[in-house]
Amino acid sequence: MVSPFYLLGVGLGLGFLLGLTGKNSKKYTSAITFVAFAFFVFFSISWLIPFALKQVTETLIYTAGFLPPFSISLSVGFYEAVFSLMINSLGLLSILFLWKKINSESNALGGIILVLFMTLNMLVFARDIFNIFVWLEIAAISTSGIILLDKNKFSYSAGFKYLLASSIISSLYLIGVVLVYFTNGTLFLNDLITNASGVTMSVTAVFLMLIAIVLELKPFPANGWALDVYEGANPAIGAIMSGGVATASLFLLYKFSPLLDNKFSYLFVIAGLLTFVGSNLFGIKQDKANRLLGYSSIGQIGLLVAIIGFRPFLGDKFEFIAITILVSHFLAKAGLFWLSDVIKQDNIKNWSVLRRKPLLLVLFGIFVFSLIGLPPFPSFFGKWELIMMLSGGYKFAVVTIILVGSFIEAIYLFRWLGYAIKLDFSELPEYKFELNKIIPVVIFGALVLGAGYYAGNLICLKTLNYIPLAFIVLLYFIDSLPAYIKNTLSILALGYYSYLILPNLYETDMLRFIFAVIFLIGGIITLVAGYAYKGKRQGFYPVALLMYVGLALIIQAQTTLEFFFGWELMTAGSYFLIIRGKKSIEHGLSYILFSIGGAYAILAAFGLIYAETSDILLSSLSVATQNITLIFSLLAIGFMTKTASLGLHIWLPGAHAEAESDVSPMVSAILLKAGVFGLFILMIAMGHNPEAEQIGLILGWIGALTALVGNLAAAFQEDAKRLLAYSSISQLGYILFGLAMMTHLGWMSAMVYSINHFLYKSILFLTIGAVVLKVGTHDMYKMGGLIKNMPLAFIAVLIGIIALSGVPPLSGFAGKWLFYNAIIDKHWYFQGAIVFFSGIVAFLYLFKLIYSVFLGQLKDNLRKVKDISVWFAIPIYILIIGIMIISAKPELYLKPLGTMISGFYPNGELSWTGGLANAPYGYWNGSGVMITIGIMFSLLFLWLWSLSRKAQKVKQFNIVYAAEAPQRPETTHISYNIYAGYYKSIGWIVAPIFEKFWSTMTEWIHSVSDFGRRIYNGNGQYYMTHILIYMLAFYFILMH
Amino acid sequence: MTITIDKIALFLGIVLMLIGLYGAFSLKSIIRIILSLSIFDTGINVLIVSLGYLKGRTAPIIDGDKVTVENIFNVAIDPVPQALVLTAIVIGFGVTALMLVYALKLYQSKKTLDINQFSDLKW
Amino acid sequence: MEFDFKKLGFTLLGLLIVLNWGLLMSAIMRKINARVAKRYGIPWYQPWVDLVKNYAIRSQITHGIMFYLGPVFRFSGGVGLFLFMPMLITAGGQWTNYSFQGDLVLILYFQFFGMLGMALGAGEGGHPYSAIGISRGLSQFTAIEVPMTLAVISLAIQYQTLSIADIVKAQQGGIMNWTMWTNPVATIAAMLSLLGALAHAPFNLVRAPNEIPIGPPTEYHSTFLGVLQTNAAVLHVVEAALFMNLFFGGASNWFEFIVKTFLIYFWSVFVGTVFPRYRIEHSVSWFLKVPLVLGIIAIIIFM
Repeated sequence: MVSPFYLLGVGLGLGFLLGLTGKNSKKYTSAITFVAFAFFVFFSISWLIPFALKQVTETLIYTAGFLPPFSISLSVGFYEAVFSLMINSLGLLSILFLWKKINSESNALGGIILVLFMTLNMLVFARDIFNIFVWLEIAAISTSGIILLDKNKFSYSAGFKYLLASSIISSLYLIGVVLVYFTNGTLFLNDLITNASGVTMSVTAVFLMLIAIVLELKPFPANGWALDVYEGANPAIGAIMSGGVATASLFLLYKFSPLLDNKFSYLFVIAGLLTFVGSNLFGIKQDKANRLLGYSSIGQIGLLVAIIGFRPFLGDKFEFIAITILVSHFLAKAGLFWLSDVIKQDNIKNWSVLRRKPLLLVLFGIFVFSLIGLPPFPSFFGKWELIMMLSGGYKFAVVTIILVGSFIEAIYLFRWLGYAIKLDFSELPEYKFELNKIIPVVIFGALVLGAGYYAGNLICLKTLNYIPLAFIVLLYFIDSLPAYIKNTLSILALGYYSYLILPNLYETDMLRFIFAVIFLIGGIITLVAGYAYKGKRQGFYPVALLMYVGLALIIQAQTTLEFFFGWELMTAGSYFLIIRGKKSIEHGLSYILFSIGGAYAILAAFGLIYAETSDILLSSLSVATQNITLIFSLLAIGFMTKTASLGLHIWLPGAHAEAESDVSPMVSAILLKAGVFGLFILMIAMGHNPEAEQIGLILGWIGALTALVGNLAAAFQEDAKRLLAYSSISQLGYILFGLAMMTHLGWMSAMVYSINHFLYKSILFLTIGAVVLKVGTHDMYKMGGLIKNMPLAFIAVLIGIIALSGVPPLSGFAGKWLFYNAIIDKHWYFQGAIVFFSGIVAFLYLFKLIYSVFLGQLKDNLRKVKDISVWFAIPIYILIIGIMIISAKPELYLKPLGTMISGFYPNGELSWTGGLANAPYGYWNGSGVMITIGIMFSLLFLWLWSLSRKAQKVKQFNIVYAAEAPQRPETTHISYNIYAGYYKSIGWIVAPIFEKFWSTMTEWIHSVSDFGRRIYNGNGQYYMTHILIYMLAFYFILMH
Repeated sequence: MTITIDKIALFLGIVLMLIGLYGAFSLKSIIRIILSLSIFDTGINVLIVSLGYLKGRTAPIIDGDKVTVENIFNVAIDPVPQALVLTAIVIGFGVTALMLVYALKLYQSKKTLDINQFSDLKW
Repeated sequence: MEFDFKKLGFTLLGLLIVLNWGLLMSAIMRKINARVAKRYGIPWYQPWVDLVKNYAIRSQITHGIMFYLGPVFRFSGGVGLFLFMPMLITAGGQWTNYSFQGDLVLILYFQFFGMLGMALGAGEGGHPYSAIGISRGLSQFTAIEVPMTLAVISLAIQYQTLSIADIVKAQQGGIMNWTMWTNPVATIAAMLSLLGALAHAPFNLVRAPNEIPIGPPTEYHSTFLGVLQTNAAVLHVVEAALFMNLFFGGASNWFEFIVKTFLIYFWSVFVGTVFPRYRIEHSVSWFLKVPLVLGIIAIIIFM
C-alpha cells in the first residue's frame, strides 16, 4: 500500500514548485497539476481496492517513528479511502474543468488547488486533533486563495468574509484542542475515543472542538459567509467548496462521532435538522443560481450532520445511508455548479439556455433528481433507509422534519427545473460548449446513475428490474429519430412487457391484472395517437415510458420499497409529460409538489409500518396494529394526492387541461388509476382492522364531496379540457367513495367505475384533444356546429358522454346501479345522496361539452376544419368497441370482478341468473335492457323515418329566430356561461376555498423565507457574531 | 492565592482574547479588524503557553546535562503546547497575510476599508 | 331464449291505453286551465286532432342527423320508461311490461335517455332558445332529483328493496298501507319534486311559453313535433304511474290506474294554475330548501 505521505509530498512539493516557477511554464500548469491529481486518484484507488476486497484492515501510520502525540498520525481505512477517492476525483475533474483558466492565470493557482486537495485528503486521514487544526487552517487559506480566481468585488468580499469566519472557527477549535490536551494529556483521536467511555472529558473542551467542526459545515443560521462565497466565487470554486471541502469536513465530524455521548448526538441532530429545514426554507425565495445552490448544499450537509447524530439509531445501515446521500449530493452539487459555470447565467429563470444543448438539460435533470432523492439515484435508497430506521426508533417527529425539509427543497429545485424546461431562451446570450467543461459534468452525471444502480442492488438484493430503465436510456439516445419510429418502439416495448406480466397476473392476482391492463394496454392504446405527431417529438418517449414503467413496477411490487420506487418513477415521468404542455409551467410545479408531498406521506407511513413489523413486504400493511389511524391516514392522503381528492385536487385541472392532446388521456384516464390502485392496497389492509372504519367514513365523505365539487366546477368551465379534468376529479371521487365503503358492492362499484372511467375518459380526452389540435383552441364557445365537419369525433363524444352519465344502456349505468345497492347496504344514505346528486349535475357539463363543441352554430373560421386525425380515431374507436362489449354483456367483467372481490368481502355479492344480476335490493339485466332499448329505438327510428324521410335539409341560419334571420354564428351560439342561473343559485359550493387555502400557504412560506433570509445581511462582522451566538446558544442548550 | 507567572500569563491571554474579540466585532475598518483578530490569536497563544507552564521545570531540550532522555518527564515542562504555539503562530501569520491581501484587494475595488460597504452579497 | 309473444302483446296494448289516456288527460287539464282563466278551452278531442295534423304536414325540414334523432331519443325514452315500469300489479302479471329487466334505479336513470337525446337534437337545431331552454331544464332537473333521490332512498330503506313491483306489493292490503301513510315525509318530498318533473308552473320556465317560446322543441315541427307530442302523452302517464306505484299503492286494474294517475297529474296542474313562474335560480334554490329538508327527514326516520 502506498503511504499517504507520498500524497502529502507530491501535493506540497509540487504546490510550492509551481509557485516558484517562472511565467514561461504557465501553459504547462494544468497538465502538471492534472498528472499530479491523476496520481492522487491512483493512490486513492490503490487504497480502496484492498479494502473493498477485504484483504487488509485499517492501518495507522506515524511520522518520524514516534507515537502520538509526538508525531503526526494518519489512518487509512475503507471509508478514508472512499472519501479520498471522492475528493481526488473531484480535484482531477476540477482541473480539467478549469484547464484554460489555470493556464491563463498565474501558475500558482494550480499549485494552490493541489495544496487544497492534498489538505482535504489529510483532513480525512489525520488522527491527531492538533494536526487537524493545522489542516483546517491550510484548507481555509488555500480556499480563500482560490476564491480570488475571479477578480471582482464580489469574490473579494466573499473571500474576506470567509477568512473572517474561518479564523473565528479555527480559533474556537484550537482552544478546544488545547483544553482537551490539558484534561486528557493526548492529542491522539484514537486515545480520546478509547478514553471517552472511561475518563470523563471536559465537556467544554469537546464541545468547542465539535462545534467548530459543525461551524465548518456551515450550520444554519450561522452560515452567511458560506452563502456569500457560493454566490461570489467562481462556480467551479463552489463545486470544490461544496463537493470537496464540505465532504472532508463531514468526514471529520464522522471521525469525531465516536466521542459523542447522547447529549452531543442531540447537538448534531438539532444543528443538522435546523440547517436542513432552515436553509432550504430560506432558499425558496432565492433566484440567483449559485446562491441557491449554496442554500441547497448547506441544507444537504445539514441533513448529513443530523445523520451522523443519528448514528446510534441507524445501526449497520448508518454507512449506507450517509454515503448514498453524500455521494448524491457530492456528484450533483459539483455537477450543478459546473453547469452554472458553463452557461454563465446567474438568474435561475435564465437556465432555460440549457436547452440549447439538450444533453445539458438532461444532466441538469439528473442532478436535480438526485438531490431531491428520486429514484433511481442513490439518495433515494439512502433516504428510504433513513426513514425506515428512524421510524424504527419511533422518532416520528424527526421523520416529519426530514420530510418537510426535503419537500421544501423540492419546491425550489422543481421550480428551477420547470424554468429550465419551459421558459423562453431565444433572447439570452450564447455560451461556449467547451469539451473540457462538459466532460466532468457528464462523468459525474454517469457516476450518479451508476451509483444509484449500485445502491439499489445493495439494498434490494437485485430484485429491482432495471431493464425497462435501460430501455428508457436507449430511447433517449435515439431521440433524434422521427417520432413514428420511437412510437413504434415504445408500443412494442409496452406490448412485450404486457406479454411478460399479464398472463401470469391473470392466473394469480385479478386485482393487479385489471390495473395492469389499464396501465399497459391503456398505454399502448393511447400511444397509438402519437402517430399523429410529425417530426421528432424530442423528449416525449423517454418520459412517457418512464411513467409506464413506474406504473408497471407499482403493479409488480412485492415490497413497500419496490412500490415506492415505482411510485416515484411514475411521478417523475408524469411530471415531465405534464410539463410538456405549452402553458404548463405552473401546473407542472403544483403537480409535482402535491405528488412529492403525497409520496412523503406514503413514505412516512411505510416507515411506521416497518418500525412495527420490521418488514418491508407490502402485505405487512395488514399486519400493523399500532398507530393504525396515523398510518392509514398518511397513506390515504398520499394516494389521494394522486387521485386529486377534494382539498388535494387543485393541481389537476390545469395539469390535465394544458397537457398535450394525447398526454391528457394518459395522465387522466390512466395515471390517476395509480392512486386508485394505491387506495385498493390501503383498503385491503384496512379491511383487516376494525378501527379503520372511522377513516373509511371520512374518506367516504371526502369522496362524495369531491364528486359533487368536481362535477359542479366542471359545469362552469368554458375550457373543454378543463371541463374534462374537473370531471376526472369527480369520477375519482366516486371511486374513492366506493372504495371507502369497504363492502363487496362498494368495491364492485369502485372497480366498475375505474374500468369505465378509463374507457370513457380516454375516449373523451382523446377526441377533445384531437378536436383541439384541429381547431386550435380549448374554449368551447369558440367552437360549435362541428358535427358536420367531424362526425367521427361527434359519435365518439356522444358515446363517451352517454357512458359517463350512467344512462342505460351503456356501461356507466352498471356503476350507478351498484352504487344504489351499495349505499343502502352500507347505510351511507346522505353521502350516497350527494353522490347521486353530483351524478345528475354531470349532465350539465356533458351537455355543455357536446353541445358547445359539436352542435349549435358553426363559426366562420371553422368551416373548413376536417375530421380528427385517423391516428386518434383508431384508439378512440377501439375503446368504443370496449365500451359496447361491456355494455351489452356486463356479466363479462362483473362476474370476474365479483369473484375477485369475494376474496376480500365474501358477503353481499351479486347473484347471477343468466344475464340477470341480483343485488340485495335490486336487480338488473344489462343485456336485456340493451336489447330492449336497441329494438325499441330502431323501431321508433324507422317509424319516424317512414314519416319524414323527405325532410329537406336546410342551411345553417334557416331557423325560427323571432322572425329575424341571424347573421353571425357568434351571436346565435349560446354557450358562454350557459349555466349562469345555476351558478347564482348554488355556485357557492364551488367557491375556490381550497385554491385560496393553498395559495395563502404558499404566500406564507414565501414571506417567511423572504423575511428570514434577511439575517444574511452581507456584513462580515455580523456573520462572525452569528457564529459566536450560535456557539453560545448551543453551549447553553448543552449545559442544561 | 499566590500570583504566579503562569496565572499572570493566563490572565493576560484572556484579556488579549477579549480585546481582540471586541475589536473584531466593533471596529469598522478592515485593517483594524484584521489587527484585532491577530490580537485574539496572540491571546490564544499566550493562553496555551500559560497552560503548559509547570513551575520549576526547564525547557524540554535534551542537552545531556540537566535534561536527559531518562529524566525528561520529570524535569522538563511539556513540550507539546510550545510546539503547538509555534505552529499556530506560523499559521496565524499566513492567515493575517492573506487577510491583508484581501484588504488590499477590497480597497482597490471600492476605495474604502469600511466593512459595511462590502455587503453586496446578501440574502 | 323463447320469445314471449303474449307478453309483447299485452305490453303493446298497455302502451296504446296509456297513450290515449295520456292524450285525453292532457286535454282535460288544458280545459281545466282554461276554465280557471275564464276561457272556454279546447274540445276534449283536440290532442288527437293536433297529432293527426302534425303527422300529416308535408313540408318538413331538418337541420342534420342529430336533429333528426332527437325526437327518436325522446320517444324511446318515454316508451322505454313505460317498458321498464310495471303498470298494473295483477295476479296474472301480464301488465308488468318488461320491468323484470331492471329495478327502480333503471327507471330513474333511463329518464335521462330521452332528455339527453332531445337536448342534443334541439342543440343541433341551432336555435338559441333551444339552448337556453335546455340549460334551464338541466339545471332545474338536477335540483328536482335531490328530494326525489332522498325519497327513493327512504323508500328503499323502508321496504328493503329497489324493485317497483315489490314496493307495490308491500303496500297492498288497505289504503293505510300506502306509502303516503306509512312514509308521509318521503311522499311529500317526492310530490314536490314531481311538480318540477312535470314542468308546470311555477316550474315551467324550461318551455317558458312567453319568454322563449316552448324552449327546447322550438325548431321542431310537423312529424317531429307529432312524435314529441305522442311521447309527452305517454311520458306524463308513466311518470304519474311511477308515483302511483311508489307512494299510492299501485293499481290492480285500469280503472284504479286512471283515477290515481289523474289525481297525481292533477296535483301539478292544480299548483300550476295557482302559482306564477319562478326564475331558474329561484326554482333551483327552492328545491334545495324545503323539499331537501323533507327528504333528509324522510331518511332519518328510517335510519
